Amino acid sequence: MTALPRTRRPVKAGSVARAAGILLVVGAFLAPLLWMAAASLKSNLEIIDPDRMFAFTPTFDNYRNVFETQAFGPFIVNSFLVGAGATLVALVIGVPAAYGIARYRIRNATAFVLLARVIPGVSLLIPWYFLFSQIQLVGTYTVLVLTHVFVTMPLVVAIMTGFFEGIPEELEEAARVDGTSRVGAFARVVLPLSVPGVATATILSFIFSWNNFLFALVLSDQDTRTLPVAIANFTSYASVDWGGLMAASVVITIPVMVIALVAQRYVVSGLTAGATKG
Amino acid sequence: MFSTRRAVLALPAPIAAASVLGACSGESDPNALTIVTFASPWTEGLKDLVEDYEAAEGVRVRIETYGNEQLNATYRTRLNARSTDFDLMVFQTQDVLRDYSRNLWLADLTERVESDAAWDWEDFQAQARDAVSLDGRVFGVPVMTERHIMYYRSDLLDAAGLDVPQTFTELREAVAALHDPANGVHGIALRGARVPLVTQFSSFLYGFGGDFQDGDGNAAVDTPEAIEAYRFYGDLLHDFGPPGATNMGWVEASAIFAQGGAAFYLDADSQAYTFLDETASAVVDTVAYARFPAGPAGSHPYNIVPAAVGVNAFSEKQDQAWAFLKWATGAENCIRLLAEETAPSARQSSWDDPAAAAAYPAGLVEIIRDVDGDYVGHDRPRLEQVARAREYVGGPAVTAIEGGDVEAAAKDANEDFQTLLDDES
Amino acid sequence: MTYRRTFTDRVDANLKWILTAPAVAFVALLIAFPIGYTLFLSVTDSRGAVTRPYEFIGFGNYAHWLADTERFWPAVGRTAYFTGLALLLELVLGLAIALLLRRTFRGQGLVRVFILLPLVATPVAVGMMWLLVFEPSIGFANTALEALGLPAQGWLADKDTALNTLVFIDVWQWTPMVVLILLAGLGTLPEEPDEAARVDGANAWQRFRHITLPLLAPVITAAAMLRVIDAFKTFDIIYATKGRGGGSNYEAETLNILAYGEAFEYSQYGRASALLMLFFVLIVVVLAALAILRKKGDRS
Repeated sequence: MTALPRTRRPVKAGSVARAAGILLVVGAFLAPLLWMAAASLKSNLEIIDPDRMFAFTPTFDNYRNVFETQAFGPFIVNSFLVGAGATLVALVIGVPAAYGIARYRIRNATAFVLLARVIPGVSLLIPWYFLFSQIQLVGTYTVLVLTHVFVTMPLVVAIMTGFFEGIPEELEEAARVDGTSRVGAFARVVLPLSVPGVATATILSFIFSWNNFLFALVLSDQDTRTLPVAIANFTSYASVDWGGLMAASVVITIPVMVIALVAQRYVVSGLTAGATKG
Repeated sequence: MFSTRRAVLALPAPIAAASVLGACSGESDPNALTIVTFASPWTEGLKDLVEDYEAAEGVRVRIETYGNEQLNATYRTRLNARSTDFDLMVFQTQDVLRDYSRNLWLADLTERVESDAAWDWEDFQAQARDAVSLDGRVFGVPVMTERHIMYYRSDLLDAAGLDVPQTFTELREAVAALHDPANGVHGIALRGARVPLVTQFSSFLYGFGGDFQDGDGNAAVDTPEAIEAYRFYGDLLHDFGPPGATNMGWVEASAIFAQGGAAFYLDADSQAYTFLDETASAVVDTVAYARFPAGPAGSHPYNIVPAAVGVNAFSEKQDQAWAFLKWATGAENCIRLLAEETAPSARQSSWDDPAAAAAYPAGLVEIIRDVDGDYVGHDRPRLEQVARAREYVGGPAVTAIEGGDVEAAAKDANEDFQTLLDDES
Repeated sequence: MTYRRTFTDRVDANLKWILTAPAVAFVALLIAFPIGYTLFLSVTDSRGAVTRPYEFIGFGNYAHWLADTERFWPAVGRTAYFTGLALLLELVLGLAIALLLRRTFRGQGLVRVFILLPLVATPVAVGMMWLLVFEPSIGFANTALEALGLPAQGWLADKDTALNTLVFIDVWQWTPMVVLILLAGLGTLPEEPDEAARVDGANAWQRFRHITLPLLAPVITAAAMLRVIDAFKTFDIIYATKGRGGGSNYEAETLNILAYGEAFEYSQYGRASALLMLFFVLIVVVLAALAILRKKGDRS
């Protein structure tokens, strides 16, 4: 085709611009975190000295502190258990709800479920503490999972409703014409198409649970304490261990990165699957 | 089958699993106590004490540590629900003593502290005992004390041939002389944020002969002495302070001094360790301490109790809790904590012990031993709603730092403060 | 075989309720007590401890706030400004970045994970990091500015720039969430309409405006609603960088910070509860407005 050489140049410029744009975006989001990661390898003095931004001797003392002195291991496990539990429950309850809302157009249900996110945490603290201490659930994983589901499930519902609304009903109609039940149509047609949505909702749900601080502060005890609460260990009465704080933050970020990487595969594979269908 | 049914059946499983994993808090176990505290040198020492206590008495004490701000949120939430989850509680005396005791959250310890002569309640410094008492009743045992001192750069002072300032006037002269922003050194670093500055401003206020309240307990921040104090404090920061002073609490201000960015820094002596830590300070070899300078009315820095330990009034193990507390705050253990963790004990005997005080930074010990009538036992307004009062009385200082009309601000602050006081009586 | 069919039919018939009931019930159960309790406290003068004696004062607390031009109304203004600006920037940037990352390219999984990181880092730690970075004397931001020959700024410390700096931090932290949601949404869009338009000769902008955007509308609305609610309630970064009351001149005091202070620092539970109810009503009104806008959009 004679047109090929001519169309090539604009495409090349476009993809160079795109690549540059992507690098810029990634850089903008990553730069402060790289600063944090660098800070985690510095001593406290070097962190507060702008001249030592790039010129410093790396040390692993902060990480040693995080794992040995502060014993972060159990906190990571706790956060993980609670996050996994909360995400699972949120999906199990939320995805079907979102589907129902999308297909039957019960907008009010979305509004009601979102109410859970609207209430400021401050209103919930004392009544919930009172309630859960009456039934002796304070300090258990159960109460943490329950309160985190309260936060993550509306997220799942909101996102998945948006997704399900975007999937044309004709696809399901076509399946039902073949004799499958409504539920079957959901499982065989809609669910595979919404894998990217579910994966996204999973990642975000896990992240919100991971970062939740207020509920864990009051409802966990020393054994079930999660990471965000533990991070305050680095701010003591008369000094701030900046290095420890930054190292702890890096440590906190890594498990989620791994989960996100895994979940992203489903997002990407779902995209390619979606592209070949319909 | 199809996913919905499986999903519905799967629902109870995670919750059941979670309950099985649910941690047992062991509240009802008589041989287990829980103490809630915030990170501090005393808490570090507590960890060792707890081990020894378990070995000796067979009672296990769990330590729950929180950050400063988180501690109050935790107490408020749990105690409002009458929690029995913990037995001993470390609290920030000046901020919450009235509040918590009126809420009936702290057990009355008066009889307990006075009943054992060997334990010696009188050994605790007078101001410390006052700090934990209200209307003659005792609500906690003080475990740390803190004084307002002056940190300065001995190298800069020597290079300029200046003497250590001993009065406010000399301080301002020295600060002005050493103010060299072009070379990254500001004359002085101080807290400038509205609420945090109140406690450090207090010593200046006393030095000018003022106080937050007068003898009858009425608001007194619009007196000529108070206005002078506000102006002095504000001008120091306005003229010779680092940029962004009104956003600085001790975290930022101490960081500036630690980094070598200021010639003077006046704040609590508990921060000395940061400056002596090689991994956290550029002034390890050049930091020096001096007594808080004297104003027209003399030198009257604060000597306060930042932390005291009380017994949770809802606890079901108050006797055991007191037994541990008594042991942990006995003369011997206080000396031990002072020597090993540099936890500034509230007992006079700890400071008189030469070996114990040896571990404390040289130069600081003399200042601390010098506890006589010149120190003031409070560094903030004394009423139940301390937090709000601090906002009011900190306002004129912020105005002064920003170069505004201090007199008008002080009048407004006094009105608001007085309304608050009237509200409480 | 017959039994199975009957069950399936019954499930099908009641599907609407079976699907949504657990979610709605869960929220209702957990929300009922707190809302009722907050409502109750809001008409009392409860302070200090909820166990202390209190009196019913009707709408006294509400009147106090609605007449408070020193703290309440400015806080409302700041909350509206912060939320509006942050939301706008996050949606626009989020959409732009999502479009940028849309087409498959090498390393896209990794890029998406990198972009996620601002969301993942604990807000408390992030707040303290920005505190250091924006510190006027020893922070990296001013060092970088000076290296570029630009004047140093007050950033978080300056009462005129503090709120905008906080918007910046919020945008940095939350745009990734919008990007993520929109990316997944873009991925599930059917391709025919776009192809058909391209064949008809529409250019990229026209295709975007008339095809992509309308199809993406439900997902954009979902992201917008989530962000509006969270932005209204922003707490961690403000508290970590400005402390109590949103700074020495209350320059960053939003409604949530005000409410937290009232409850946990002043322990005025009655007042705080009234404020929280007002806050709640405000968010609901905004959400309702969004929902109405969306309905109008649906019709057109």
